[in-house]
Formats: sequence, structure tokens, C-alpha cells
Amino acid sequence: MADILNVTNVQILYDKTIEAVRDVSITVPEGGIVALLGPNGAGKSTLLKAISNILYPEDGEVLHGSIRFDGQDLTRASADHIVRSGLIHIPEGRRLFDTMTVEENLVMGAYTRQRGEIANGLQRIYDLFPRIANRRSELAGLLSGGEQQMVAVGRALLSRPRLLMLDEPSLGLAPQVVQIIFETIVRLNKEEGLSVLFVEQNAVQALDVAHYGYVLENGRVVLDGPADKLASNRDIQEFYLGSATGGGRRSFRDVKHYKRRKRWLS
Amino acid sequence: MDYLLNITASGLVLGAMYGLIAMAFSVIYKTTGVVNFAQGEMMMLTAYIAWSLGMTLALPFWLMLPLVCVIAALIGGLVEYAIIRPMMGEPPFAIIMATMGLAIVIRSLTILLWGVNAEGFDASVKGGLLEIGPVVLFSEQVFALAVFLLVSVGIWAFMRFTRVGTAMRATALDESAALLMGINVRRIHSLAWAISSIIAALAGVCFALAFSRSPSMWFLGLQSFPASILGGLDAPLGSALGGLLVGVSANLSEGYIGQGLKEISGFVIIILVLMIRPYGLFGRRDLERV
Repeated sequence: MADILNVTNVQILYDKTIEAVRDVSITVPEGGIVALLGPNGAGKSTLLKAISNILYPEDGEVLHGSIRFDGQDLTRASADHIVRSGLIHIPEGRRLFDTMTVEENLVMGAYTRQRGEIANGLQRIYDLFPRIANRRSELAGLLSGGEQQMVAVGRALLSRPRLLMLDEPSLGLAPQVVQIIFETIVRLNKEEGLSVLFVEQNAVQALDVAHYGYVLENGRVVLDGPADKLASNRDIQEFYLGSATGGGRRSFRDVKHYKRRKRWLS
Repeated sequence: MDYLLNITASGLVLGAMYGLIAMAFSVIYKTTGVVNFAQGEMMMLTAYIAWSLGMTLALPFWLMLPLVCVIAALIGGLVEYAIIRPMMGEPPFAIIMATMGLAIVIRSLTILLWGVNAEGFDASVKGGLLEIGPVVLFSEQVFALAVFLLVSVGIWAFMRFTRVGTAMRATALDESAALLMGINVRRIHSLAWAISSIIAALAGVCFALAFSRSPSMWFLGLQSFPASILGGLDAPLGSALGGLLVGVSANLSEGYIGQGLKEISGFVIIILVLMIRPYGLFGRRDLERV
């Protein structure tokens, strides 16, 4: 299977001094679902922002390394060019245009598309999420969190992406809504071959959906592997899945093996 | 009664010019978060260019006006590209100082190129007096009102119904989300400056036609700023209405209370209004989900 996204040895600095990501390489295969796991501040969101090149307002920059999407180098491409190429990014916290209506928000998602495609695109989103169809003329900021996430996903899909990046789609949402969101994504992946790269704190959910996973800590990839392998990894179980085996007391000296294993190449 | 109607009408004309410039302020502020303190000066510069085109080159009015709009758009775009864009990310205070510097440069440049004398501006809209019931207005005053109405409706429709206008509102609301939609935010900023310059240029032409073009025209910008604050700096239509309010109240206070109140009445109103609505009459309060 060909790779749709190749991030190679990327180093990202904020303010030219603070290193957020170091020598990270990740790959998303065409039609794959890849999860980025890791604690707060690991550099997951930064990596997504670097891929869609919206770091410059925060004074972040990719110092070296390359980001290739579908064969073309996007490391220095402008954000709108990246969207046009078929890579869309749903940011953390949804970031809808609060005082615009749901439909206006969705239309903005189709900003890079031909005018004629909008009507069909909107209908497709309303079919996908019937809950937002009858709230289309309400202000997006007044929707519930779950509905807002649906609008955010719909807005992203209107750009007709080939790779969808989601930053913590489950943040602050009811489990039931999270279920709907993930089901939709898996369906789009299966039916339309949409590739997905998503960041998630909820590892159980993430490894259930993803085909492959990367664990980031302190700006580095510390572990990666197919989702089922990761889910059965002892460290992952300990720290991300919260299922300590056996019960009773455990010494922290015995866990986090990968930290003591030397990883010359990351 | 006739007196009241007449000063109200001429107040509306004055307010229309304030309103146009206030709209120009707010289009830039809403989209880019920058207050352009050179708005009055850019308005004056384009009015002078219009005067030169219309009087010195004797271009017909219907040709001069669109040409002035194009020149104004270019000036606005150039200012954005050369001064504002390199300063993005600097503290707002620094950007404001840059626009103030630009204001002084344009003021001096205008005097350098055209001299200090005020000159009348005769154009085909000069058609004498028009009587509408008891109200008597000059034709160029009616022209100013017409321009004001057209621009207000135009801006409203542009922001509401066009994709680029919606993208402009989106950029105003959340710039990085707009970037993620594939909106070319830099181009939207340039566009905002261009549109704002065109609106200000129209105000300048109206003013020069109704009175004269003179090196003190920039002061109109300073007087329109309270109108924009009053209506809401991030609300173009609110700013337009703020202009009308300030214009009418300026004329009424001068006509009924006394000379000298004209200049300060606008400021008195904004102090009163801002005490009750700190974000202006039509400014955006952040939406809260309950």
C-alpha cells in the first residue's frame, strides 16, 4: 500500500528556542487510520499544526525534516495550498465560527471547492449527521458540544479531503457522541478510502479504531506499532489503558521499559 | 419645524460622510484587528487625486469615479503590503504607531504636492438646490446620501451573501481556523484594506464636492472615529449608523445650543453610550453558550 503522508525526521521549534518535536517520523498509509497517542505537551498537536503549516502565527517553525503528502513536498507550502491538495485538519476544541450559522460554517469548509459542488456537499453532510440538518440556520456557537464536533467534521469533509487529521475529537464530549463521530470516520474510511490521522488521549478508544499507532513523549516517538500490538504492550496497558495486571502494589522501577531501552534511532 | 428638518437633513449628510469613513475603519478592524489611524489621511489623498483627475485632467465624472476607486484600492493594498504585513505579530501599539506615522507622511506629502490652498471641486453632480418638501439640499449633498446608502447596502450584501465576504467574517472570528479552511488569510487582509480605502475615497470625493478639497480634510477621519466606536468598531453597518447619529447630533447641538459644540458632541455621545454598552451599539459581545 502506498503512503499518503510521510513525515520524516521533523524537528519543530517555537520562538527559535523551545524544541517541541524532535526527529519524529510518522507514516500514514493510503486508506489507513493512524493514531497519535501521548500525554499533554508531547508535541502531538504541534505535529499536526506543522503538517498543515499553521504554526507561524504562534512563532513555531519546522527547522528540518520533510513532510510529503501524496508525493509532493509540503514542508514549505502555504496552508491554503495544503487544503487544496486534499489534506484537512480539524483543530482541537473544534474552532467553529461561533457567530456564523451552521450552514455558513459548512460553506466555509468548501471554500477551496467549486461553487457548484456546495449543494451536494452540504446534503451529504446532513445525511451523515441528521442531527445538524435541522439546526442549519442556527448560530454554531449555540449548538451543544457534540453537535459542534459534527459540524467541525462536516466542515472538514466539505473540502473533499483525502487525508483527515483530527486533534482530540473526543475532548469534552459525551461517550455516546464520541461513538457517533468515530463510527462516521470508520465508515468514511471503509466506504471512501479516506485516510485518517488523529490525536487522542483516550487510548482505549483510539486503539480500537486505529490500524496503527504512535506514542509520543517529550517530542519524540517512543513506541509505534500496529494497534493490536500496541494494545497488548505492557507499558501501554500500564500507562494509557490503565489496566494494571494482577493488582496489588507495583514498583515504578518495573514499568516504562522503553524508557530504559536505548533507542538510537527514533 | 422647517429649521429642525433642515439641520437634521444637513446633519444626515455630514453623518453620511462620517458613516462612510467609520465603515472604512471598521472593515479593517473587523478583519485584521488593526485600527488604521491614517484612514482620514488616505481619504484626503484619494480626494486630492480625484480632484486632480477631475479638474486638472478634466476627466468626466463617470470615468473619474471608478478610476479613483481603483487607485484607492491600490493605495490600500500597498499600505497593507508594505507597512502592515511586515508588522503582523508585533504588539498592536506598534502597528498603531506605524499608521500614525503614515498619517503624518501623507499629510505632508499632500501639502508638498498640491500646496496649502483649498480648492473647489466642480463636477457634474453640482446641480444646484433640490427641494424635498420643506427641506432644501444641494445636489452634491443628495449625492453623498446616495453614495452612503449604496455603500452600506453593498457592504451588507457582500458580507452576507458572497463567499469571499463570509470568508472575511470567518477570518475576523478565528484566523487560524480560517487558515485551516484553506482561506488565504493574507489575501483577505489585503482585500479588507482595499475595500476600506475605496469606501474612504468615496467619502473624500463626497466631501470635496460638497465643500472643497483642503489640507485639513484629514480631520474628518478623526471625527469619524467616535462614530465607529459608537456603532461598534467591529460592525461596519453599526459604524455607518453611528456616523449618522454623530452627524445629526453634531448639527442639532450646534443649531440649538451653540457654536463649538459640533466638534465635541460626537465624543460626548460616545462617552455616554460606552458607559452602558462598552462594545458599541452593534459591536460583538462574545457569544456564550448556556
